[in-house]
Amino acid sequence: MTQHQVPPGLIGARVRRKEDPRLLTGRAQFVDDVVLPGMLEAAVLRSPHPHARILGIDVRAALELPGVFAVLTGEDVRAACATPQPVVWRMIPDQRMTDQYALAVDKVRYVGQAVAVVAAVDRYVAEDALGLIDVEYEVLEPVVTLDDALAEGAPLLYDNWPDNVSCRQTIPKGDAAAAFAEADVVVTETLTYGRQMGTPLETRGAVMSWDPFTDQLEGWMSTQSPNLTRDLLGEVLGLPVDHIRVRTPHVGGGFGNKFDFYGEEVLAALLSKRTGRPVKVIEDRLESFVANAHSREQRIEVSVAAKSDGTIIGMRGTVWAVLGGQLATVGIGPCWLSMALMAGPYDIPHVEATVVGVVTNRSPYGSYRGWGQPKANFAHERIIDKLAHELGMPANEVRRRNLIAPEKFPYPSQVFFYDSGNYAECLDMAEQAVADRGWAKRRDAAAEEGRSLGIGYSFHIEISALGPSKIMNQAGLQHSSFDEEVVRIDSAGGVTVRTGLSAMGQGIETALAQVAAQTLGVPLDTVKVLHGDTETNPFTGYGTGASRGAALGGGALLRASSRLRDKVLRIAAHMLEADAEDLEITDGVVAVKGAPGGPSVTMRQIGDAAYRRLDGKLPDGEDPTLEERDVLDPDNVAFSYGTTAVLAEVDRETGRVELLDYLLVHDCGTVINPMIVDGQIHGGATQGIGGALFEEIVYSPEGQPLTTTFMDYLIPTASEIPTFETLHMTTTADHIPGGFKGMGEAGTIGAASAITAAVEDALPELDLRLTRLPVTPPRLLDALTTATPKDPS
Amino acid sequence: MSTPTRTGTSVSMTVNGEQVDRHVDPRRTLSDFLRRDCGATGVHLGCEHGVCGACTVLLDGRTARSCCTLAVQAQGADITTVEGMADGAELHPLQEAFWKHHGLQCGFCTPGILLTVQELLADNPDPSDEEIREGISGNICRCTGYQFIVDAVRDAAAVLRGEKATEAE
Amino acid sequence: MKPAPFGHVRASTLDQAVETLVAEDGDAKVLAGGQSLVPLLAMRLAQPTTLVDLGGLRELDYIRDEGDHVEIGAMTRSRAVETSPLVATALPLLPAALRHVGHVTIRNRGTLGGSVAHADPAAEAPSVLRALDAEIIATGPGGRRTIAAADFFQGFLFSALEPDEILTAIRIPRQPAGTVVAVEEFARRHGDFALVAVLGAARLDPSGEIAEVRLSVAGAANTPLRADAAERLLTGQAPTPDVIAAAATAVAEATDPAADIHAPAEYRRHLAAVLTRRCLHRLFAHAERSAAA
Repeated sequence: MTQHQVPPGLIGARVRRKEDPRLLTGRAQFVDDVVLPGMLEAAVLRSPHPHARILGIDVRAALELPGVFAVLTGEDVRAACATPQPVVWRMIPDQRMTDQYALAVDKVRYVGQAVAVVAAVDRYVAEDALGLIDVEYEVLEPVVTLDDALAEGAPLLYDNWPDNVSCRQTIPKGDAAAAFAEADVVVTETLTYGRQMGTPLETRGAVMSWDPFTDQLEGWMSTQSPNLTRDLLGEVLGLPVDHIRVRTPHVGGGFGNKFDFYGEEVLAALLSKRTGRPVKVIEDRLESFVANAHSREQRIEVSVAAKSDGTIIGMRGTVWAVLGGQLATVGIGPCWLSMALMAGPYDIPHVEATVVGVVTNRSPYGSYRGWGQPKANFAHERIIDKLAHELGMPANEVRRRNLIAPEKFPYPSQVFFYDSGNYAECLDMAEQAVADRGWAKRRDAAAEEGRSLGIGYSFHIEISALGPSKIMNQAGLQHSSFDEEVVRIDSAGGVTVRTGLSAMGQGIETALAQVAAQTLGVPLDTVKVLHGDTETNPFTGYGTGASRGAALGGGALLRASSRLRDKVLRIAAHMLEADAEDLEITDGVVAVKGAPGGPSVTMRQIGDAAYRRLDGKLPDGEDPTLEERDVLDPDNVAFSYGTTAVLAEVDRETGRVELLDYLLVHDCGTVINPMIVDGQIHGGATQGIGGALFEEIVYSPEGQPLTTTFMDYLIPTASEIPTFETLHMTTTADHIPGGFKGMGEAGTIGAASAITAAVEDALPELDLRLTRLPVTPPRLLDALTTATPKDPS
Repeated sequence: MSTPTRTGTSVSMTVNGEQVDRHVDPRRTLSDFLRRDCGATGVHLGCEHGVCGACTVLLDGRTARSCCTLAVQAQGADITTVEGMADGAELHPLQEAFWKHHGLQCGFCTPGILLTVQELLADNPDPSDEEIREGISGNICRCTGYQFIVDAVRDAAAVLRGEKATEAE
Repeated sequence: MKPAPFGHVRASTLDQAVETLVAEDGDAKVLAGGQSLVPLLAMRLAQPTTLVDLGGLRELDYIRDEGDHVEIGAMTRSRAVETSPLVATALPLLPAALRHVGHVTIRNRGTLGGSVAHADPAAEAPSVLRALDAEIIATGPGGRRTIAAADFFQGFLFSALEPDEILTAIRIPRQPAGTVVAVEEFARRHGDFALVAVLGAARLDPSGEIAEVRLSVAGAANTPLRADAAERLLTGQAPTPDVIAAAATAVAEATDPAADIHAPAEYRRHLAAVLTRRCLHRLFAHAERSAAA
């Protein structure tokens, strides 16, 4: 595992981020900061009913309001679009698709579904006009919960389906039935993961400008996936992609919510086409709770078959995906991944896991950081805890007995090959760190004072560096997943990197600059990274998600930069009359290795030799210019992993959980910038904590969303979040240049599992198994007052 | 004089040191006024109902949610947005500390947090970590998990107390 | 989330403000700090024809010592009340409670009058007024009238103010020397509205018995609740755990909480008992300390 080890230098350095000065001074441009001459602003009329037939829409009064330029309804959109809204993840070939347009055509299937859209002089007037649109609905009985949807004789969301099940798939490995038959012990659990969403602080938005004379469409969009968006816009609008330019300003947080392709972009484009003016549509916060993709909500049935020594020989599970009223861009994707990764980091020979996608009258289910993995993690970690309890063993002993051993990599799971890792060492490190910090002593001392502290662990794996395009295509992805990067040295020796990845807070600009600077041997501040324009930047296959940016973008750039470095050395060798092999580049100066003060050329001189004054400097046979391009479509995905440890306190009288300390031991291969990695872990863990204790999208029994503001959907503040500590280990991904694995989602995955374990540990005398998220104070109080005392045996 | 004005009201205020005189629709929020009419796009709209803190500005030296304030309510006020923090091309010590400690990721909440912390440190130059957390608890950050923000504030407080020099890049 | 159109009157006198309310015949709304109203406008949950903006009425921004009362003008910002030395001495419960109102940024703009007029049963200021037997002064076309806090809060976001009246001041009886206070609030996140908050003020007599106690509860009914029964149980007693427990039970029995997505009614009732007990324990621990000192 050494061939890709990168020598110490800028890769691995805690350098300040290049993007920060403009973000700190208010100079960064976000999509709502884009203002074009003559621009109109749009507002969307949304369904107040969870399930209803649209009988008629009267827009005349809205059109007459001064300042209103256009109103579109579903029929207009269907007539103008070449295809319905696309679904790019189609893992299950016989899945029933929902084929909906950006505006509802005949039926609405969730509160908040877009029904009409207005373009007006500004957002104020556009919202005034919404109040003048008259929609006649025939209200239908809603299907609000999973059980509603599966009930005998349930109302059908799609009249031509036999039931509300969109898809079902089982993927077996080995012979689970045999394993369960010969087990010493079988434990079973049913888990409920609450509905949540990514909730970037900047809501989604787009500015679209359609030139009616040339059919050129120019868009500014807050998106994680500019190239995918361009291709999908082309499909839906029936435009060649060379007519479409997607520009991505700074993205104010994505978290998967902005990976997906939404109808509002299409509506703004159509309104622009209709009016001949640029049209901006910015989702407001109230809309975001119904118009953004929801996520996470599942019911998971999981069981394991084990030997009495704790060795797990079989696992079975069913993921019931609580989909919304229509499929979002990623279809069954996240829920399918929960099924595919249900065995997690454990070496379980026999696995049989099933996913069932069920439609309900809720907002569509789409991407949120972690995708299916927090649920898969909750399944395998909760069942490990329960098995340990059943066997009277410490949970980490059961983990250790079953973690995949280092020599077993690459390890074939149900679906994926895990690339590399040393899982047991990671768990050991976490236990040691917890011991060093005296958590157990704190817990025991607190118990003396009548306080209830507990320690919980979880182990997570994270699929990253997505991934090999052809394999992803076989898995059902209607798109690629490679990454292309371009690096150029200009005539004065400055370096420009062009990337198709989006800057959404993950520091991609800095990370890529570090890779290029170290590989080329130039100072970091001579490297500029350009992103956010499909017209001038290269193609990123999937988008900025799936923890792939640093790994694939970094890997491609490392290869491109290495080749560019070779060319620099060839030119320098010619100029210095030396052998290229004997030269090295340090701080932008090429000189003979080990000969300080000897002859040298600067990167500026090399640039001059390649672009301007070539004669006598550029070797014969060498093309002018200094540019390289690389495409990385790796042989495999990578798997990062980590152990989370939590010290929590439970207030037995109120059911409130307070997190006192939080530790994560993590391995994501070669780290480019540890400061950024730590920040990603902190932020991911905070979202995981939110999902474990605070955040839930709640619907009334009638199908009305009850969480519609930031007073209802509780994103944790600094006062609820503990101090984080991260420890790192490095097992490189040998199939990725640089050995990078990627890690953007890590923190979200194991949080809920560790927190629920800590809460149970804080109540040691109770036979308490937490199976529902989030663990709110009323729920926990109810659970601990109804739990039975543990069997003293 | 007591006839309600529906067509527009004159407002005058100072925005980052510049006198601004405009005619505004009374329903225009201060946040929209600053962003659209004054070019202060560092004022960010995260929720428009007073919970997230991204739109925080200084109004007569105290923090205010510009989304929960109408432009007409700022008549005669002295407004500072994030654009008014730096001294020329010199970052404010708080901005410098946030940069050094990675106290921001996507940066959308950052303007509001910087101004909130500026007030916090004016009121309490040497806050404990708990006080820092409480002080920024009206500002939602969805990216950082707050740890590095707390580190940055602690460090900036020491600089502002004159106990250490700012560490410029 | 942009407000519907409305007219705006920046009142230069109180009379002008009242005249406008009368002229608009119930369709106008009074704008104080705007911290509750502007979001309601943005959500179009409130669509007044006209806003009567009190922002220019400097004469409503004061904190005045009136001997046995402190009078606070309606337009005094919460933060100014919270940090006033006079209020700290004369009405210690008020700043202790106001510190739980949202965040500093909200309190910088929000006014005491606005918060009281909004009559949110989960808000802190109305509960303080109930605990301290405050009086609310309203000015309407017929002049000024005084309303006891007990009569002012009539329902969820519903007060005794007439549509053409403006809340202009709040009078709160000065608390006797030796009064200690405690606020126990349970909110899901820091700065959120309380699920339940219990506010208490008390004095012990030299023998260690409870000379006076005032208790109110926010978030436990459709108005702020005064815990009279618990106060009667406590007064004249030594603050033993049993007495405190009985008071906590009495408070819980007096509540009539609503259920919402954050908590069922039963949980709020339970919290009222737990928080009352914690509040009283803290209160009497303070009182004993201050008596010892």
